[in-house]
Amino acid sequence: MATAVTPSVTRGDGQWLPSTCGMCLHGCGIQVYVEDGVALKIEGDPTNPDNLGKLCPKGNAGLSRLYDPARVLKPLKRTNPVKRAGVDPGWVEIEWDEAMDIVARELGKIRKDDPRKLLVAIGDFQRILFWGWPAVFGSPNFFTSLGNYCGGSYHPVNGSVDGSFAAINDYERCNYWIQIGSGDGFSSHLHVSGSSKRMADARMRGMKLVVLDPRLSTAAAKADEWIPIVPGTDRAFVLGMAHVLVHELDRYDREFLRQRTNAPYLVGEDGFFVRDEKGRVLVWNERENHSGAWDEVPADCVALLGSFEINGKKVRTGFQVWKDILATHTPEAMSQVCTVPAEAIRRIAREFVDAARIGSTIELEGKTYPFRPAALNYYRGSQSHSNGLFDNMTYKLFNMLVGNIDVPGGHLGVPLDTRGFFVSPGESGQLKPEPHQLHPAPPFKYPPDSTHLMEWFPIGFDAGQLNTETILSPERFGLKYQPEAMMLYHSNPIWNMPETDKVEEIMRRMKFVVAIDIHLTESTQWADIFLPDRTYLESTLLNCLEPPVVTGHSVRQPVVEPLGDTRDAYEILTDLAQRMGFLDNWNDLLNIVCGFAFNTRYLLEPSKRYSVEEIYDRFAHSIYGDDKGLEWFKKQGHTYRPRTAKEAFEPYGNLRIPFYFEFIKQTGAELEKQLKAHGVNDWPLENYLPLPFWKPSQVIEDGKKGYDLYAITFKDVIHTFGDTVVMTWLTEVSEKDPIHQGILINSKTAKKLGVETGEKIRLVSPGGRIEGRAQVVEGIHPQVVGISNSITREYVTNDKVNYKGSHFNRLLTGSLRYTDGATGGLESTARVRLEKVSY
Amino acid sequence: MPEIDLTALGEARKMVGFSQKKIELSGHTVAELLRAIGTLDGENLYEKLVCQGKLRGDYAVLVNGLSVKPDQLDMEVKQGDQVVTMAILRHLHGG
Ligand code: SF4
Repeated sequence: MATAVTPSVTRGDGQWLPSTCGMCLHGCGIQVYVEDGVALKIEGDPTNPDNLGKLCPKGNAGLSRLYDPARVLKPLKRTNPVKRAGVDPGWVEIEWDEAMDIVARELGKIRKDDPRKLLVAIGDFQRILFWGWPAVFGSPNFFTSLGNYCGGSYHPVNGSVDGSFAAINDYERCNYWIQIGSGDGFSSHLHVSGSSKRMADARMRGMKLVVLDPRLSTAAAKADEWIPIVPGTDRAFVLGMAHVLVHELDRYDREFLRQRTNAPYLVGEDGFFVRDEKGRVLVWNERENHSGAWDEVPADCVALLGSFEINGKKVRTGFQVWKDILATHTPEAMSQVCTVPAEAIRRIAREFVDAARIGSTIELEGKTYPFRPAALNYYRGSQSHSNGLFDNMTYKLFNMLVGNIDVPGGHLGVPLDTRGFFVSPGESGQLKPEPHQLHPAPPFKYPPDSTHLMEWFPIGFDAGQLNTETILSPERFGLKYQPEAMMLYHSNPIWNMPETDKVEEIMRRMKFVVAIDIHLTESTQWADIFLPDRTYLESTLLNCLEPPVVTGHSVRQPVVEPLGDTRDAYEILTDLAQRMGFLDNWNDLLNIVCGFAFNTRYLLEPSKRYSVEEIYDRFAHSIYGDDKGLEWFKKQGHTYRPRTAKEAFEPYGNLRIPFYFEFIKQTGAELEKQLKAHGVNDWPLENYLPLPFWKPSQVIEDGKKGYDLYAITFKDVIHTFGDTVVMTWLTEVSEKDPIHQGILINSKTAKKLGVETGEKIRLVSPGGRIEGRAQVVEGIHPQVVGISNSITREYVTNDKVNYKGSHFNRLLTGSLRYTDGATGGLESTARVRLEKVSY
Repeated sequence: MPEIDLTALGEARKMVGFSQKKIELSGHTVAELLRAIGTLDGENLYEKLVCQGKLRGDYAVLVNGLSVKPDQLDMEVKQGDQVVTMAILRHLHGG
């Protein structure tokens, strides 16, 4: 389905041009009104199925990024050799040729010596096709300074369950929505501008919304019920609900668990599946009372629960194993952990299972599907913790109890692909787990190649925060080299990563730093060369429209002539590849990631340099055929088709999804052998377990050492990753909202500590300390202090933006102790004590 | 004799010295195709990409977009099939 853009308003003699918002990664459809070469207004494209004509505040404010007087419009060279936080680099403007010569020369030296010595911090999620540049340079050392915060454990578990990257409840059909630590439908995550309408529509038709959050977030404020909870204990709440379903109410979707998951597979006392001589996993035939291969026992005879004996050895079904674990997770016990009253845990569990309508079906496109209109949705706040793997597993298993995974009304996978790369048969009738979706899983290696130890995270997701620990203590990890150069590609690790002082120390050690960005930031201040990229209103790409609702692409096109002397990031990276002699490898990489290798008519020649327009023209043609190239997209904006029911629901056919995550245990056992063979005996392997349970984290332990409060950060729809805090159009708004004014503290706690709004306070954590002004509010858990990501930035080139202190990340610790050992997910909560600052 | 469209990328391209070529194949399997493609140093792709009868883990072969598993070298290739061979970038991780 292709639709021409119909502008909602026409003004003057200008022109409305279709494009895609680039203020966050989600790529909402926009139309930009341009008159005399000047962009005057951005509106949402009502024909775009992702954002439905809506824009969030950031999207509306895009012009202030384009025309920001503080933007860098010409390459810069540092003249001050002294590199320290707060030291003026002494920037001077230079020509592109000189800048590129310097960068190619310095990085070229590194490449010749040992390409691993280049460390690349990467952002710019919409241009993910270019993330492979460091790999063709030859370095394994690239990481997002942001991603490990949000999805470190989330993405591997989604990929392992159903081959998806993310997940979201079915807005159209869900009737009972539990939301834990997420802004979906209100303030963040998947296409917030469109999803807020979807959420509003769902609530108008009567959907009940229950929100768990330590803070009265936008979602909590709009919900039918807000349940304040201690950070990092959401899993305890959900385990308590699972106990209620399995042990007290005895209500769960037996058919789903038995036929669509591996819950009935038999598990030995060693925790591994029991297999026959052909390697097939066994199940128990409860009619004939013996075991048999999973594909030989008739479906209606397979036992879901039970303990049995095979050759004198005790075995249990995977479901029985979790049931046994849940026995101790009573609402009373879990209430002690999360502070939510046991009766509330019981009540929500009961309401949820009632609303799930286990056993009901729905007819869609001529096929009958299970219908489960109740689902638990979650994201960052609920699982970005040092036991994040167990958090994610718990939420998925709770959804599985009512059989709602990938069925109408339920919890739907959001895949990265439409071509089935991540859906394929695994062992014994199971779906193959795909924990890695952005790159192939790196094989184990000792000594490791990468500074963030990816070779030791076989199911993990790029724990960028570990760079501080490994680079500053390389001998502990067997690292045989030290990074000497750094590339900052739309990335601000000093602001976005924990342990700011250590990140600065790493940057101080670099012999050469190059930054590709739009603005100067806390991190670019350490650069030797700054290369100015173009904004999304001056550059080109094709953006993927987001599943699960549709499949398609929208265009990003220059709506005005680029300002100043800037270059598109693709042209910068390609020029560098050419100057350093690896253009052929770069083109081959693009052949693979753009899919040209599979449609060789569009294959790039190894030694030819292509423009960004040529790349995306080929990309468009390779997917949509001869008649839809870049020019077509520039006129039409986008093309899409709704996903069919068959694509959206149970896209893996009869393959079983994991209830019992045996492959995680297997992976851990294999890793342990490899590490031990190299004398590494202190690697954290304890989270490689097949089922989740409650286990306190380091954060809970820190509470025993006098850090009595929990500190959290939170985001609002108005800002992205702190990056947009430099935009005055946005800060003028956020500065009027008290929640972005200071450190939020509950009124009762404030009274107890004698703290008042506006008073200067200090938060001290085991990892660092920050100062700021107290903001006394009702809407936060009494044990919690909250700090907005929109509050401030330390280095701002726009003098209209005020500095307000309270850089949350300084409170965090990025070390292994605060990292999930299996996924690399980072602990995003800190324990703190509050001190009054006296003068 | 089936004619196969062969594409070689990355290290595999450097070994054979071309990106794309039509190969007239006297056999009918992936293994026979790899044996039929000479490398610049006088060997053939089978010798380079296959170890103990299995496709090496750091190389990929795709037939019409579908990946050939390490032990599927006897997979049939037919007239007009598009075969891509490439090195898997060891460092294509991070993020
Ligand atoms: S959610 Fe907001 S910032 Fe993100 S793409 Fe949409 S309009 Fe732009």
